[in-house]
Amino acid sequence: MRLKLDFISSDNLDGKSEDKKINFILKKVRDGSILVMDGVMKPEEEMNLIKETMRRVDNGFPGIEICSLKKELKGMKLFFDRVSERRERLWSWLTNAPTETSLKGGITLIGPAKIIKKIKKNPDSFSVITEV
Amino acid sequence: MVFGGFINWLRNLFGSKRNISLGIYGCTNVGKTTLANKIALDFTGETVGKASPIPHETRFVQKKEKVDIKNDGKKLSINILDMPGLETKIDYRKFLKYGMSRATAKERAKEATQGVVEAIKWLSNVDTVLAVMDSTRDPLTQVNITLLGNLEARKIPVILVANKTDLKNSRPNQIKEAFPQYPFVSVSALKGENMDQLYDAIIKHARKSK
Repeated sequence: MRLKLDFISSDNLDGKSEDKKINFILKKVRDGSILVMDGVMKPEEEMNLIKETMRRVDNGFPGIEICSLKKELKGMKLFFDRVSERRERLWSWLTNAPTETSLKGGITLIGPAKIIKKIKKNPDSFSVITEV
Repeated sequence: MVFGGFINWLRNLFGSKRNISLGIYGCTNVGKTTLANKIALDFTGETVGKASPIPHETRFVQKKEKVDIKNDGKKLSINILDMPGLETKIDYRKFLKYGMSRATAKERAKEATQGVVEAIKWLSNVDTVLAVMDSTRDPLTQVNITLLGNLEARKIPVILVANKTDLKNSRPNQIKEAFPQYPFVSVSALKGENMDQLYDAIIKHARKSK
């Protein structure tokens, strides 16, 4: 049996709308790939990923396993990150429009639940058990 | 529409909704319905729904409206919203272990996926959330992290509830340590232990409805 890992850089997903990003991820995962992405999704995006996953669950695709580690920003980087986030939220709030987002620092793993049997997460690491 | 959000905010500000919508969220089998039932029983004498050890027993949002919580001389009127359990995967084969036929299991799985979608949609309509976790299980799951991140982003007040403290291997402190930034109460909804502290926390932290 083969296990396929796709490593995706944040450049590949940055600037994509949320729908496109979710479609991209779910297509790869449904095809049996485990994605390792540079960056973490926003909580709202991740919740929408779960929602869309549920819509696509069928007898052959029971869903996904997901785990991410967010890079903790400090000092000026944290300050500018927060300013940028608030600007995005203010615009979204004023216009009722969804924000086009970029992935935040960190790492995310998303794979088919059929293959990934368990993810054990610690605050700064995680291990993945697969069965193929 | 430009300024649509601002108009919605003004509308909400002058709205006249009186009861607080208390959403009970968490993974499957953490005791959400048992907790909802305990709260409803304490103040109305009626239950909200049927609790079961089979995952995804709650597949639709269950409501109990106008529940007046009273504790220590304080009172709060709430609508209890018992949500289907959040999951990233639902495999119908899991239900076969509980003696269901293949057709019943598939139907249950389908309803369960719809339940998760419904629970997520309801995040836009709750005023306060009880994030329920099973104190015998590892709290650092992606579902818990995503749920709490969403509530924070939406500025919805959240109270962490470590449930099942009556069980021998219960370790409520690991939940508190994993998410130290949130108000925290440990309870046994089944045995009715520590419920007064939970009512106190709800009255203290619940946000006035939108």
